[in-house]
Amino acid sequence: MTFLTNIANILAKYWQVFLVQGIGYTLLLSVIAVAGGAFFGSLLALAKRSKLKILKAIVAIIVEVVRGTPVLLQLYIGVFVFPMIIPKLSSMPYIYSVSIVLIINSSAYVSEIIRSGIEAVDVGQMEAARSLGLTHSTAMISIILPQAVKNILPALGNEFIMVVKETSLASTFFVGELMTAYLKVKGYTYLTMECLAIVGVLYFTLTYILSKILKAFERRMKAHA
Amino acid sequence: MLDIKNIYKNFGDLHVLKGVSTHVEKGEVIVIIGVSGSGKSTLLRCMNLLEEPTFGEVWMEDRLMTPPDPYLHFDVIRASKTYQKLVESGLDDAEAIKKIKDEDLLKEKHPRTEGPEYAALLKKIYDENGIDINLGRQKMGMVFQNFNLFNNKTVLENITLAPVKIGKQRLKDAKKRGEASGKTPDDIVREANEKAMKLLTRIGLQDKANVYPSTLSGGQKQRVAIVRALAMEPDVMLFDEPTSALDPEMVGEVLDLIRDLVKDGMTSVIVTHEMGFAKEVADRVIFMHDGVIAEEGTPDEVFNHPKNPRCKEFLSKVLY
Repeated sequence: MTFLTNIANILAKYWQVFLVQGIGYTLLLSVIAVAGGAFFGSLLALAKRSKLKILKAIVAIIVEVVRGTPVLLQLYIGVFVFPMIIPKLSSMPYIYSVSIVLIINSSAYVSEIIRSGIEAVDVGQMEAARSLGLTHSTAMISIILPQAVKNILPALGNEFIMVVKETSLASTFFVGELMTAYLKVKGYTYLTMECLAIVGVLYFTLTYILSKILKAFERRMKAHA
Repeated sequence: MLDIKNIYKNFGDLHVLKGVSTHVEKGEVIVIIGVSGSGKSTLLRCMNLLEEPTFGEVWMEDRLMTPPDPYLHFDVIRASKTYQKLVESGLDDAEAIKKIKDEDLLKEKHPRTEGPEYAALLKKIYDENGIDINLGRQKMGMVFQNFNLFNNKTVLENITLAPVKIGKQRLKDAKKRGEASGKTPDDIVREANEKAMKLLTRIGLQDKANVYPSTLSGGQKQRVAIVRALAMEPDVMLFDEPTSALDPEMVGEVLDLIRDLVKDGMTSVIVTHEMGFAKEVADRVIFMHDGVIAEEGTPDEVFNHPKNPRCKEFLSKVLY
C-alpha cells in the first residue's frame, strides 16, 4: 500500500519531470534520431547501391563499425572524445552531441533497412520496366521505390521503437530524457522502486502506443497492395 | 530488322552463349527450342540487352545497341597495336587477324593499351551507328515467364505507364529542340488510356482495368503483360517461355493471343517448350544446344528431318 501511495506522492510532486521533461526529451531525441537517420540512411543506402567501389567500401565500413559497437560507447566517443580532438566542440551542450551520435547510429541501421527493402522487390519488376524502354531512374521512382516503401516502413517503425528505448542510454550524460528523470527524482526522494516503476510504465506505454499505430498503418498498407 | 552478331555471354566462369549469330526479318516468326540451360532464354535476353553480351553486337533496325565489338571489325583489329606487333613479327594480315581472334588478344575493355587510333575507330563506329539502349528497347516488346506485371499499378496503369512516361519525355525533348507539337501532356495520357482500353477489350479484360494484378489469374496476367508490351507499338516481340509458369488450363488462352498477333504479321522471337505451337506458328526454328545454334531451319526441316544428333535426341524426348 505504501508503494502505491509513494508513487502517487511522487507523481503529484514531480509529474512535470517525468511527463513533460522526461517524455518530451525522449520523444524529441527519438524523432531527431529517426528523422535524421532516415535522411542520412537513405543517402548511405544510395551510396551503397552506386557503382563507385570506393564509395561503397566507405559506406560498408561506416555501417559495420556503427553496427558492431555498442551505442553507449559511441555516445562516450561523441560526448568526450570528439571535443578533445576538436576543441571548438567542447562548449557544445551534451544534448547536441548525443543527438548527433544517435543520428549516425540510426543512419547505419536505416540504410540497411532501406537497402534490403529495395532488394526485396522482385528483380523482374525492374526488368519489365527496362524492357519497355523506361530509364533506370524512372523505373526506380515509379515501380521499385513505391513497392520498397511497403517493405521499409514497418521495419522503420520497429527502428523507431528501438531508438525510443536506446535514448535511455543518453541518461549517462544527464540530458533530461526519461531515464534522467528517474535519476533525478530518485536523488530527491530515495525511492528507487517507485521511480523505476513509473519510468518503466511510461516507456512501455510509449512503445506500446507506437507499435499499435504501426500495426494500424501496416494494415492500411496491405489493403492497398 | 534484328541482327545478332557473334554473341558470347559469360557469367563468371560459366559460358552460356558461345558465339551465336542470327538475323530476324520483318514479319518473321522464330521459335527457339532446346533443353534447359542451353542458353535460349539468355539469347533472348541478350537481344534487348537485359543481359549485356560479353562479346558480340546487337543491331536493331541497323542501329547498334551494344558497344562495338572490335573482333567484328577488321579495320579496328588492324588499327590495334597487337596487330601491328604481330605483322612486324612476320605474320601476314589473315594470320594476324586469326591469331588475335582465336587467342582473344584484344582487351577491348582497355582500349588505351591498343593505341589512340584503335580507340578512335571504336568510338567512330559507335558514334555513327549507336543508339540509346532505351530507344532500342522501346521497339522491342518483351514478355516474361513470370509476367512481371507492376504490382503497385492497376491493370490499366500497367499498360499506360511506359507510353505516358516516354510520350511525355519525347514531348519535352521536342520542346527543347524548339519543335512545335500539337499535343499536350493531357493528350498523351488520354490517347494512352484509349489505346489501353482498346487492347484490354481485345483480350476481353476491359472490366479488369482498375483492379490490381494480384487479383488476376495467371493466364489473365500473361495476356495483360502481352498487351502492355504491345502498347509501346514494338516492331519485334520477344517471348521468354510465356506459358511455362501457367496452369495447364490457362496455356491455351495465352497461346491463342500470341497466335493472333503472329497472324497479324507481328515479328516475333519465341522461346517455348510447346512443340505443337512451335510447329504451327514458326517460320524458322532454332535448336540451341550448349550455347550455340545446333540446328536451324523451317519447322518441317527441324522437326521432321533433324540432322543434328542432339536435336534428334531432344525431339524424341519431347515429341510423342
